Order: sequence, then structure tokens, then C-alpha cells
Amino acid sequence: MSCNETLILRSRELSREISKNGSKIKTVDAVTFDFNKGVVYNIVGPSGAGKSSFLRLLNRLDEATGGEVLYYDKKLQDYPPTELRRKISMLFQTPYLFPGTVRDNLQFCCPGKSVIDPDFHLKRVGLSADYADRDAADLSVGEKQRVAIARSLFLEPDVLLLDEPTSALDPTSSRKIEELILSLADELCLTVLIVTHNPGQALRLGGRALLLVKGRLIETGETSEVLTNPTSELGRKYLSRELE
Amino acid sequence: MIETGYLQVLAAAALALLALILTKIKAVPVEKEIAFGSVRAFVQLVAVGYALEFIFDSESFWLVLLSVTVMLVVGAYTAGQRAEHFKSGFTIALIAMGVGSLATLAMMLALKIITVEARYIIPLAGMLISNSMNATAISFNRIGSDLKNNRLAVETALSLGKTWKQASRQYYRDSVRAGMISILNFLKTVGLVALPGAMTGMILAGASPLDAVLIQLVVGYMLLMAVSISALISAEMAVRKFFNAAEQFIG
Repeated sequence: MSCNETLILRSRELSREISKNGSKIKTVDAVTFDFNKGVVYNIVGPSGAGKSSFLRLLNRLDEATGGEVLYYDKKLQDYPPTELRRKISMLFQTPYLFPGTVRDNLQFCCPGKSVIDPDFHLKRVGLSADYADRDAADLSVGEKQRVAIARSLFLEPDVLLLDEPTSALDPTSSRKIEELILSLADELCLTVLIVTHNPGQALRLGGRALLLVKGRLIETGETSEVLTNPTSELGRKYLSRELE
Repeated sequence: MIETGYLQVLAAAALALLALILTKIKAVPVEKEIAFGSVRAFVQLVAVGYALEFIFDSESFWLVLLSVTVMLVVGAYTAGQRAEHFKSGFTIALIAMGVGSLATLAMMLALKIITVEARYIIPLAGMLISNSMNATAISFNRIGSDLKNNRLAVETALSLGKTWKQASRQYYRDSVRAGMISILNFLKTVGLVALPGAMTGMILAGASPLDAVLIQLVVGYMLLMAVSISALISAEMAVRKFFNAAEQFIG
């Protein structure tokens, strides 16, 4: 599929403030950024930087307290949340599969109405067709993550939000998921936003990077630039800590 | 019929004393609770007995209404305490228990199973409200802990485009079922494992066992309706507290 990198998602002064122990904290602080189709974006930054919080605002799992997100030039609030989340799909750190078979999980979105073609839906995430009738509970974490990705892809989303999808995986399984992400972005023209605390992973995925510190967008650009040659003091501090 | 007076109660109190002595010998630290509980039960029940005598004799509609209202408010407050993970527990409990109990009572009046007399309304309302209270408390407890413990499953479903109702359906059903489990067990085992209190009371008071059984059946079906309605309403209203209009999980 040809992918001409058109603008798909725009975050404008996006903020989220929460109350914690009686005081207000900004978990996301005025983040402005444009996301294009078919590009992989690494969201990097130290723990508590607001990476996951930022991701959750992009499909309205949480509500922004300031700013806005535009999806195809329309505010997120202009879409019914259920429809929006089928197009901007989110996967979590720990993949959750519902009780039943892999097939049940794949057609979770629309039971009774959907037809699963294991040869297509499972093979594109690197699993053989015979996985379709296996009990979801018997899969390894890596396999579960693949099924979770396949389940999201079944909805034909434009954007995949991945919140540290490989943190529970061994290095080999992590690499396989990274390869899968890259091939999906390329073949399906999918925009992928991936939260990672691993600069090495971000460098392997390439694409672009957003460095968040204390909820603020500190640095953006080509992933290799942001992670090897940061221009800001906070960026350099983050990188030196990570390299330690 | 058994002759019952204060003398018989005093004789029965010896059994409580025996329980106290046995636990004391075995150093189980419950003697204070046994002593206090036994005295408290005596005072409470005698006071209620006098109050009921007074209300039954007066046949005042307002006194009946006041009694039912007090039972309902105290019951709702107690059940509301179980709403640890969400707000408005008292209000939800009041609605769920009020609708469950009063609708059942109204049906029984409409079907002429009972008549508008204090001696029917008050004891039956008490049974309905206490059973509804337990159902509501258990539903609250279950839905709160299930949704909190299954946040990932709920948010996964929401992320796949499900509505809050679809994402929480399983937990809603489990909560209703948990609220009803005691009445369902009662219906399964009634007469086999134990003779229910109302029936036993009637038999001890000299009624024929068959009459007692018929009354017990009425009570059983009545409780089933009240408990079902209360569990359904409390679970439904409690689940809503965990989501907002944007289909976000806010629990």
C-alpha cells in the first residue's frame, strides 16, 4: 500500500491535570504535535514523564483538561467514543485476552457478524492459522501480544497506540514484535505511537521520536537525532541517565 | 402451643451463659461479645415488641409509614457502607431497596395476599427490607471489587470500541447473581437443610405445618421478587458510577 504521510492526528496544547494527595499535577502539559499516516512514533522519556497519560488522551480513554486533539481535522469529541476507539486503537503493556479461543478474541468486536480468516488475520501477525482454535489462556505473553495486535487490526484502525507492548517480553519476542510493528506500519499505512522506556528499541524502530519530561514535550525529530544528539539540556540529561 | 413468658426466656438465657462459660474455659476471647450481645438482643427485642404492640393497637397509618421509613433508611445506610469504591451508595441503596421492597409489598396488597394492617405490613416490610439490604450490600461489594480488579479487561474492551455497558456486562451480571445467591440457595434447600424462621415460628406458635408451609412459600416468593429487583437496580446504578458519558472508566 502506498503511504503518502498525510496528516492524521494533531495534538494542540494538549494537557491533563489530575488531583493527587490534595494537590494538582499536570501529567501532560501543553503538548503540540502532528502525526502523519504510516509513520512510527516513539514516545520516550523517564518514568512519570506522562508518556502513557499522553497516549490515553489520543483515543479518549482519559479526558484532556486542556487543549484538543484533531483526528482528520475534527475534534475527538465530535466522534462517538466507540467509533473513535475502533479507528485509534490502544494496546496495553500487559495484553489482555478475553476468556475463550483466539478466534473468540479476534471477533470480540463484532460477534456473530464477523468472519475470521485465520490464514489472513493470524498470519499477518506471525502466527499460524491453527492458533485460531487454541485457548487464549494457554498462550505465552508474546503470543498473547500478537493476538491482541491481530484483534485490534481486525477493526482496521488508522492509528495504533502501543503502551510499552514489549516490556513483559524476552528480548527475542520483543524483537519479533518490533519487526511486526514496522511491517504493519509499512504494509497497512498504519500510524503507530509506541511508548518505550528503552532507547535501543526506539532506535531499532526508527521513525520519529517525542521526548517527554514531566508532561512536557522537550524534543522531537528523527528518532536517531533525538536519542543520539539531543539539543536540549533535559534531553541530554535523560539520555545520559539511560546510557548509565 | 409452647407457653412463653419472661421465666422461659430467663431459662433460655442459661444457654447463653453456658456458651459464655464454654468459651471462657477454652480462652476464646468472645465473652464480652456474648454477654453484651445477649443483653442487647433482649433489650432490643423487648423494646421492639412493645413498640409493635403499640403500633398494632393504634392501627395508625402514619406510625406504620414511619416504621417502614426508619427500617428503609437504616437498611440503606448499612448497605451504602459497602459502596467502598464509588459515591452515592446510600442514595442508590435507598432507591434499590425502596423499589424492591415497596413494589413487592404493593403487589402483595394488590393480589390480596395480605391486607392493609400493621401486623402484616410491618413484619413483612422488615423481612423484605433486610433481605434487600443484604442483596444490595453484596452487589455493591462485588461490583466495586470486580471492576477495580479488572480494570485492564474493562479498558481493553473500551479500547476495542465497546460501550461501557458491554465492557462491564459480565461484572454487572456477576454482581446481580452474587446479590441473589442467598435467596437462590434458600429456594434450593428450603425444607431439606433447614426449616425457615417464619415457618418454624408459626409451628412453635401452634399453627398447622401445612398452613406454615403455605405462608413460608408466600414469604419465599415475596423475598425472591424483592431481592431480584434490589440486586438488579443496585448493580445497574452502581456500574454507572464507574463510567462517564464519554465511555471512560473513571473508577
